Amino acid sequence: MAGKKIFIKLLIKKINISIDWRGSAKKIETFLGKAGNLIGFLVNRLLDCFSKLKYYTKIWFLMTKNSFLVTLSQKKLFFLFLFGKLIKFFMFLAFIYFILQKTNNLAGYTMTQTIFFFLTFNFVDIISQFLYRHVYSFRPLLVSGDFDLILSKPMNSLFRVLMGGTDAIDLVTIPPLIMALIYIGALLNPSILQVAGYIILLLNGLLIATAFHIAVAAFGVITLEIDHTIMIYRDLTDLGKFPVEIYREPVRSFLTFVVPVGIMITFPVKTLIGLTSVWGIVLSIIFGSMLLFLSIRFWNLALRHYTSASS
Amino acid sequence: MRKYLSVFNVSYKQEFAYRVNFIMWRVRNIFQIILVFFLWDSIFSNIKGDLFGYDRGKILTYVFLLLVVRAVVLSTRAIDVAGEISRGDLNGYLTRPLNYIYYWFSRDFSTKTLNLVFAIVETAILYAIIKPPFFLQTGILELALFFVSLVLSAILYFIITFIVSMVPFWIPEAAWGVHFLFTLIFTNFLSGSLFPIDVLPEAFAKIVSFTPFPYLVFYPIQIYLGKIQGFEALKILGIIVFWLLVSLFVLLKIWKKGLKVYQAYGG
Repeated sequence: MAGKKIFIKLLIKKINISIDWRGSAKKIETFLGKAGNLIGFLVNRLLDCFSKLKYYTKIWFLMTKNSFLVTLSQKKLFFLFLFGKLIKFFMFLAFIYFILQKTNNLAGYTMTQTIFFFLTFNFVDIISQFLYRHVYSFRPLLVSGDFDLILSKPMNSLFRVLMGGTDAIDLVTIPPLIMALIYIGALLNPSILQVAGYIILLLNGLLIATAFHIAVAAFGVITLEIDHTIMIYRDLTDLGKFPVEIYREPVRSFLTFVVPVGIMITFPVKTLIGLTSVWGIVLSIIFGSMLLFLSIRFWNLALRHYTSASS
Repeated sequence: MRKYLSVFNVSYKQEFAYRVNFIMWRVRNIFQIILVFFLWDSIFSNIKGDLFGYDRGKILTYVFLLLVVRAVVLSTRAIDVAGEISRGDLNGYLTRPLNYIYYWFSRDFSTKTLNLVFAIVETAILYAIIKPPFFLQTGILELALFFVSLVLSAILYFIITFIVSMVPFWIPEAAWGVHFLFTLIFTNFLSGSLFPIDVLPEAFAKIVSFTPFPYLVFYPIQIYLGKIQGFEALKILGIIVFWLLVSLFVLLKIWKKGLKVYQAYGG
């Protein structure tokens, strides 16, 4: 008896639904039409993005080619700088090696781990210098008023300011550095998940470095001061050559949350070693994305304050 | 003499004209010291006794003294000589009734004075904040030898920088490149301004001691710390004087040769 009652109730419900469906046929047709339009719009946007990406990649290759030609036209200088950079790298590596040979650990990290910190620092530092070297020569453009010419060109001015002069010398040092990272990283026996976490946080570190370069350029537009600001940024990131655990409070918190050197360099390595949680990774990415968002807002604000200093 | 005093005064005022530049430069110095300080602080947190011949107090004193010694010895304006030669700005000076080397020496002296004042204030502030164990040298002789070594090293660094700055006489485009290699790389690592040289293997430290670099920062601080005393300290001063004379001889030779090949580009 009870089963019959339930069956009758279900039947009535089905009939109601079918009546509703028939009544809303037009609405659904409209809905499908709108959905189709939306998909079309999204596909168009995607194609637009791809075409912009293609456009900017082409420009980047052109600017990079020019930059490389300028650098390679002065071969003596090229080798001089390369030699200097290599000496700097190996002298510091030797220093770490000889110190840890005596002490066995630094803030609880072994020699291999400490060297991996140093290599990761170099990776973030060199990649950001390789890509954003043009920020270092942005000031003359501002002072002379030549920045006006960039603003009038059919391309994103921030892209031009950031990536207008790729550094050929740094390109030479990137492949051996990646090989060293793989070799030393493998000695730490990480799992695939730890490696994935490391790569994601390394990219996040580069995102933060991008945000800082944008902020420095924006600060330059407002104050005309770039040379020292960028060098102060470099000095601050230099503090990430070693794990942030070597610093006492409040310097440690400052280097983690204010100038997030810890998130840029220490966190990726700690993830590879297995010392961070999933939440730590997620929060780091949110933090990096927020910084990038804020730096772009700052750039837009700076552009509104640009007064075209000369000419 | 009076004209060089005027150069000193003008140069001193010029530093204040570009205040942001000067302050940023000092801030950078502090950041560099912070890295080295906390590194050694962390290393010695687990060590009782000596490491590389330093106890905790002496190594942290070494780091703190770096601020002062770098301000006196390594702060220099003579680095701009390279740019003046490569741009042809030297022409204007050659026609004036002044000695170009003395002119830059006066400017260097002015920069060093200002940097020293700031370095002393910064050291005092940092000391008050961090309160590290500090080795206070009380021996009058050690202090006197330390000050003499500082003055001699400052002059030595000026001469070496001037020599390097003359490379653009022959390779005008290398103005910044040679300073990158010389100032940022060799001087930083081999003078002991990043870490004491005796941290490195003995053989390497010995080879470095045959160059003038460790006599700029490392040895003056060793004299202050009392690690080099008496006759040994005098020997170090003798070596600095030797390098001074050699580099002065080289400077004058290169200056004469450089002027002969100078083509007054641009200016």
